[in-house]
Amino acid sequence: MNEDSTYTDLLIQYLDGELSGEELESFEKKLAESEVLRGELENLALAKQAVRRYGLKNEISLIHGEMIEDMKTKTLPRSPVRKMIFQYAFRVAAILIVLIGLSAVYQYLTVTPDKLFTENFHVFDLHETRGATGTNIENAYKKDDMEAVLLEFRQLKNPQAGDFFLAGNAFLTTHQPAKAVEAFDSVRQINQSHKTHIFEEDAEYYLALSYLANKEPARAYPIFEKIHADAAHPYNKEVSAWFLRKVNRLQER
Amino acid sequence: METRKLFTDSSLIQALRSEANPDEAIRYLYRTQYQLTEAYIKQNSGTPEDAEDIFQEVVLVFIEILRNDKFRGESSVSTFLYALTRNIWLNELKKRGKSKLRDEIFEKGKEKETMDVSYHIANRESKSRLMQLVDQLGENCKKILLAFYFENLAMKEILKQLKYDNEQVVRNKKYKCLKQLEQMIAREPGLAKTFKSSQLYE
Repeated sequence: MNEDSTYTDLLIQYLDGELSGEELESFEKKLAESEVLRGELENLALAKQAVRRYGLKNEISLIHGEMIEDMKTKTLPRSPVRKMIFQYAFRVAAILIVLIGLSAVYQYLTVTPDKLFTENFHVFDLHETRGATGTNIENAYKKDDMEAVLLEFRQLKNPQAGDFFLAGNAFLTTHQPAKAVEAFDSVRQINQSHKTHIFEEDAEYYLALSYLANKEPARAYPIFEKIHADAAHPYNKEVSAWFLRKVNRLQER
Repeated sequence: METRKLFTDSSLIQALRSEANPDEAIRYLYRTQYQLTEAYIKQNSGTPEDAEDIFQEVVLVFIEILRNDKFRGESSVSTFLYALTRNIWLNELKKRGKSKLRDEIFEKGKEKETMDVSYHIANRESKSRLMQLVDQLGENCKKILLAFYFENLAMKEILKQLKYDNEQVVRNKKYKCLKQLEQMIAREPGLAKTFKSSQLYE
């Protein structure tokens, strides 16, 4: 440590503007004479300025965090691009709703028994719900050979409810709705007379479909209406309110 | 309901010059200038994070210029900030070794250049190094020096805030801390020399 460095305290006081009068005058003379002192003063001044910059930088950084957060939450939703995307999406959604509505109205106005039948008829799946019983008619039905089903059916001397039900499906598949109506109605009559429930609910639904296919919507409607009203009916979900309304329109024509 | 102060260029300059409470003026800069800076940086190969860093530096440099009475008022604040943004970003690209990109951006915006502010952003790296040195001080040292030199608090106030025994202890501590920082600077002669030649810190 040389003699000049002992002046550090005075240098700092000088830097902070705390010297005055003779003390200041005397120190300024010392400064003028010593390059080392002037160098130390410059470094101290730089240190002071660095502290001030550090403080300002921290202050800006705090405001920065606050403002960025603020802009993210407030200005983003108002940005023109987001607004445009929202408006565009809203317009597309509105157009879709209108198109769906128009399509529904079109479907409603142009509905025919054939169309409604074709859209809703699915041939009964014996494999899934009833299992194998092994009769000829059942085997033919499982093979999806409807001509063979009808052939076997005609050969039966005393067909049972199950036979009538499969024959009804075969008639529907082969576009013989009047005969299908007779077959499903026979299922109902046999069950009533024998107090059984063979294919009872299935036959009910398919009978209504057969009436549709046979262009007798007025007969189909009460059956569909009953299925729609009965939440426990296995075909309840097949008969929606919209479907029922379309059948109603057909029967009113 | 939230109220926001509106500034004219001259009231903005006055508020930023004031060391007492420039916060509202800084917020105003963010509300009016930040998105312009972000758009410029993003258009010129920068990321949103780059925009955040550059804007903070632009605000810092602008306030320093004002406080050192170096702003001559020959352009609007907005134009001046654009020039600062452009120069700092070009300098940053150069620092990152992207000189080719820097030259392309420089050429692209040359016709828009209304003033030379390069003088104000000289020694970016040296200033950054100085900040690192301050950061290396102990927490108590930083608190005392910031309270005295940045917040301009009187010794009595500092004594209340930092709970030292008496003012003399605070004074001694402040002396030691500033001396410590001075010695850190002295150990890097090139650093002090940079500032001496540019006389940016007066």
